[in-house]
Amino acid sequence: MSVIESASSRWNTYIVTVIICVALLIAGILLSVSIGVIDVSWKEVTRALLGKAQTKNELVISTIRVPRTLMAALVGAGLAVAGAMMQAVTRNPFASPQILGINSGAALIVVLSIVLYPSMSPTSLVLAAFAGASMGGALVFALGYTNDERAPVNLALAGIAVSMFLTAMTEGFIVLYDNQTQSILFWLAGAVHGGTWSDVYTLMPWMGIGFFISILLSRNLTILSLGDDIAKGIGLKVHRIRLFVACAVIVLAGSAVSVAGPIGFVGLIVPHIVRYIIGVDYRFVIPLSALFGAILLIYADLISRFIAFPFESPVGIVTAAIGAPFFLYLILKRRRAS
Amino acid sequence: MSRVAWIYICLLPALIVMAIVNMTQGAVPIPISELIPILAGKGDSHFEYILMNYRLPRLLLAVMVGGGLALAGVILQNIIRNPLASPDVIGLSKGSGLAAVIVIVLLPNAPAGMIPWAAFLGASSVGMLLFIISLKLHVRPAALALSGMALGTAAGAGIQYITVKHMDDANTALLWLAGSLWGRTWEHVLMLLPWIAVLVPTILFMSRHMDLLNLGDDIAEGLGIPVTKTRVILLGIAVCLTGASVAVSGTIGFVGLVAPHMARRIVGSLHRQLLPISAMLGALLVMTADMIGRVVIVPREIPVGIVTAIIGAPYFLYLLRRSIKNK
Repeated sequence: MSVIESASSRWNTYIVTVIICVALLIAGILLSVSIGVIDVSWKEVTRALLGKAQTKNELVISTIRVPRTLMAALVGAGLAVAGAMMQAVTRNPFASPQILGINSGAALIVVLSIVLYPSMSPTSLVLAAFAGASMGGALVFALGYTNDERAPVNLALAGIAVSMFLTAMTEGFIVLYDNQTQSILFWLAGAVHGGTWSDVYTLMPWMGIGFFISILLSRNLTILSLGDDIAKGIGLKVHRIRLFVACAVIVLAGSAVSVAGPIGFVGLIVPHIVRYIIGVDYRFVIPLSALFGAILLIYADLISRFIAFPFESPVGIVTAAIGAPFFLYLILKRRRAS
Repeated sequence: MSRVAWIYICLLPALIVMAIVNMTQGAVPIPISELIPILAGKGDSHFEYILMNYRLPRLLLAVMVGGGLALAGVILQNIIRNPLASPDVIGLSKGSGLAAVIVIVLLPNAPAGMIPWAAFLGASSVGMLLFIISLKLHVRPAALALSGMALGTAAGAGIQYITVKHMDDANTALLWLAGSLWGRTWEHVLMLLPWIAVLVPTILFMSRHMDLLNLGDDIAEGLGIPVTKTRVILLGIAVCLTGASVAVSGTIGFVGLVAPHMARRIVGSLHRQLLPISAMLGALLVMTADMIGRVVIVPREIPVGIVTAIIGAPYFLYLLRRSIKNK
């Protein structure tokens, strides 16, 4: 097959996938706003979505379900894109915000800020999450980075140990200041069900910045994913790109954690699925990861409403139930490939 | 006197001193001078109540759980031949924790004696899966540790789900999430004691087998050890020790990893010495961690599992770093 043909067939796959994803996303959003503890009719959903909410049910939709759904979409997309970028730059199939300590670092600092300064504004909480995310990630790389064929496993082991350490500290602080333990424990499991419009507004600008940087970098990510030598040979400023990627990852994952807690596995699974469908061209991988991440979290959130209906379960549990077996599969697949 | 004898001479008093500190410290300090009268049954009744009903069972549990987890760690490191193996790293603890929590929440009327059995079932399911993985796929040690962590994460999410849904009390929830000895009583001591009493002598009796396994399968086979059978028995013992410990104390982390390594540095890798020293160090570690958790911010308590994780995780990273450098 010639290069041009293969490129055009990739565009075809891309367009078809995007269309399917958008359809799934819209279906997910509609399901998410219409299904829940309170039964609503489609007429009420339509009126609420058009901004003409009047009855109690319509208000439930426009003030609770819509922001919750949007938050799930944004958080899912953010974590997935962060994971895709990390996997490209480190060439490590296990790289993702959760496994490399970024989520737990952000969670620690957020919990610390909440218990020490309960009146902190959401924006400063996001900034605190950025600090924590950078700390967690830096710690894992400093302790676990090696430059050989066992690097992926070593980095993942270090990441999990650092996460356990940071999580233990987080739980310790919760015990010391137990004025809102129950809600923090719930948040720690990863939850979008308390999402409000103000959360969505807090999240939006940061996600916008993160996505913008990631799209700008996408071409470079493809080259970097082939290896540092090739990238340097082409004349890429590898270190500078890594720095930008790190910033984007921290902004995306940190802001996601600050509102929704350390939701796991989204950033790990989604890039693998996307690359399986479309290949390693990150100009396609990044936008598709965003779409897939949003879809995954919206549907996971839907499932979480029904695990113990009418009790709301943390969405992080659903992603863990899907993600942990997938993680195992990745570990074992790697073994067979090598 | 031999080096080993000196080690015992240093460790035993350390254990006793820590036990005494453990009994006296807490939300209500008990003067040391009161200890002997109380234990003789002639002390202040207020102190006696606290000591006999809260501190003493807790102390005994800390010793048994710490020792049990440390022994499980030694066994796992021996049979998996992986320095990073331990009941918590390879997911056994979380597996048994999940099973225990399910029984406690879903079958509230079940007799307490059932909880350890459920915990074994959880630990052995995880153990079985890992056993199959390592047998069928010949994974590298580090990848096996990572697989165990993945299984542990899944079980951990299950625990998290049940605790946030069903437990109104933060201490109870954290007991299962992080491991704690809070509110444990004589009932729990009696639950754990028979297991420890049977399993610990058994494993000490098998120390020679473990030494031979260290020499490699071929040599061990040549010396008349049924290798696979011995491994399965050892794994069974490790699973039972983990299950029984986790059933009473939740998923205390890093003890089973840290204690065997410290012991190996002190006495080398001959199991006749390694096993008892590891058990003593494990007991010392859990006792110390429980005491620290109790006195840092009175009257609140930091669960013992959180303290061991804060001490143990950096040690794990140090081990990892060292094993990377040696390659």
